[in-house]
Amino acid sequence: MSNLLQIEGVWKVYHLGKIDVEVLRGVDLNIKKGEFITVLGPSGSGKSTLLNMMSCLDTPTKGRVVFEGEDVSHMSEDELATVRGKNIGFIFQQFNLLMHLTALENVTIPTVFQGTSRAEREKKATSLLDSVDLLERVDHRPGELSGGEKQRVAIARALVNSPDVIVADEPTGNVDSKTGEKIMNILKDLNKEGKTVIVVTHDEDLVPYADRAIRIKDGQIV
Amino acid sequence: MIGEYFRIAVRNLRVRSMRSWLTILGIVIGIFLVISLVSLSEGVKDTVMNELDMMGGNLIMVVPGDISDMMTTLIGGLELEDRDVDAIKRVRGVDAVLEMPWASEMVRHEQKARMSLLYGVSYDSGFSIVREDMGWDVVEGRFPHQGRREIMVGNLVPKDLFPDLQVGDQLTIKGSKFTVTGIMRSLGNREDDLAIPMDLDDFRNITGKREGTPIAIARVAEGYDVETVEQEIRYALEDTRVRGKGEDSPSFSVLSSDAVSDIVGNVMGVLQIAVFAFASISIIVGGIGITNTMYTSVRERTREIGILKAVGAKRKHITSIFLVESGIIGLIGGVGGVVLGVALAKGIELYLGAGGMFYIEAHISLPLILFGLGFSFLVGCVSGLLPARRASRMQPVDALRYE
Repeated sequence: MSNLLQIEGVWKVYHLGKIDVEVLRGVDLNIKKGEFITVLGPSGSGKSTLLNMMSCLDTPTKGRVVFEGEDVSHMSEDELATVRGKNIGFIFQQFNLLMHLTALENVTIPTVFQGTSRAEREKKATSLLDSVDLLERVDHRPGELSGGEKQRVAIARALVNSPDVIVADEPTGNVDSKTGEKIMNILKDLNKEGKTVIVVTHDEDLVPYADRAIRIKDGQIV
Repeated sequence: MIGEYFRIAVRNLRVRSMRSWLTILGIVIGIFLVISLVSLSEGVKDTVMNELDMMGGNLIMVVPGDISDMMTTLIGGLELEDRDVDAIKRVRGVDAVLEMPWASEMVRHEQKARMSLLYGVSYDSGFSIVREDMGWDVVEGRFPHQGRREIMVGNLVPKDLFPDLQVGDQLTIKGSKFTVTGIMRSLGNREDDLAIPMDLDDFRNITGKREGTPIAIARVAEGYDVETVEQEIRYALEDTRVRGKGEDSPSFSVLSSDAVSDIVGNVMGVLQIAVFAFASISIIVGGIGITNTMYTSVRERTREIGILKAVGAKRKHITSIFLVESGIIGLIGGVGGVVLGVALAKGIELYLGAGGMFYIEAHISLPLILFGLGFSFLVGCVSGLLPARRASRMQPVDALRYE
């Protein structure tokens, strides 16, 4: 399997006033295409920052991030946006749906910036909502959906641009354990279909779903 | 794509509807002022210029006193004497001279008595001027004959002053009876239409004033240059006063009708620019309101901006979303302002038409409306520029973390 993501000697330092906080301290990591991995660590360990590096949301202070053979460490914000829009689907702990849009509209949002036609967008979004069993919920707003339903809408949104990678930040953090199980199974199925899945969590129960678990502590992989 | 931004913008405006409407109101007021004031002042200008245009270009107005002080001259009772008028008549190139003094007198028709403005018009020397150059005409009956105690009445006299007055009726003015031979065509303003013009001799008999007129209008004969004749009249008047009465600096204003039109046109123009400028300032104030609202909106939607960026929105996408939104605020305000402005202007037009001093036709032109809409949209976009820039420059990681 070829490399999807190479992280080489990555440091991330935040300047808080006069104090420098070293959140990542020389992280090396390789992720292959089609892998299902979990990144585990307690809060403050730097796992969210590592997720930002892996998902091209942020660039390192030092070191190199190579995504699908391309060095993204020095890309401009707009270039990173293009990489994210085409290749990465996001699932967040707080769902991060737009409250005043319907489920269908929320799912179509990422395609707007890709210039997809409206008819095509809605067709794709509808079939994705169907695949997560939310067909009867297309016109509902997030306020009218349960936590599990919201997360399934978020999954549909993450898939709408057919990305190679799904990055999930505590995807089961705000739902009950039964719903969490359902969500993890959806992710497992996606992985079986060939998508690379990266799940960042502090929940050891998610480890069995993954091919590999990476543990991070104090900004370093242990 | 722009359609999608439009949908997002409308949705956001609805979500924050109270604030959106208040912001829109700021623009509505500005555009409302521009549309109503500009269309009305244009209408006033049209009315005044039309009245002036009714005067032919070959007329010269003579008033005593300085033109810069015209109002005090007219109200303050300075008058031209008979010898001044005779001097004007003798100038080469002067074809006819109209004297036109006025006075208010009680006029009786059957049992009714009303105060009315009387004009003395020198029928022998100046009647051709009012008929041919000032557009006087009768809509009913005929012009009166001189020396037969006949008069005509302004267009509104049979409507407002003596509702049952008919051609052939008699009016009594200070004990003298006059036969009404005609009803005049409207002269374009209420004051003149309520007046009763009469032969100068009859006027003088009634008022008891033997001479004097606050204004004389001379007509230049064909083949003579208006400016030259104007200058000749000035010299003739100065001569009369200096030689005849020993004044050292007599003051007269001698103005061709074109010069009057120019002066009035200029004054109106300056007035319109002032009106326009003040109304525009209120639009700018409205624009500042939009900027304020958009900044608040950007801060409240920080997380949303982070989400949009995470799923692939570039800076230009975020900028567009906010610009479309502020542009829509401006445009809706513009539409509201145009509607209210047109309504007010038309309302005033109707009100004045039903009994005001002037008849004004509100001048609502397509360019004015397009300006109102275009300018409001522009103000909306410009006002949204800085907030949109701030939104587009947010770092996705920071924005996503915002609670």
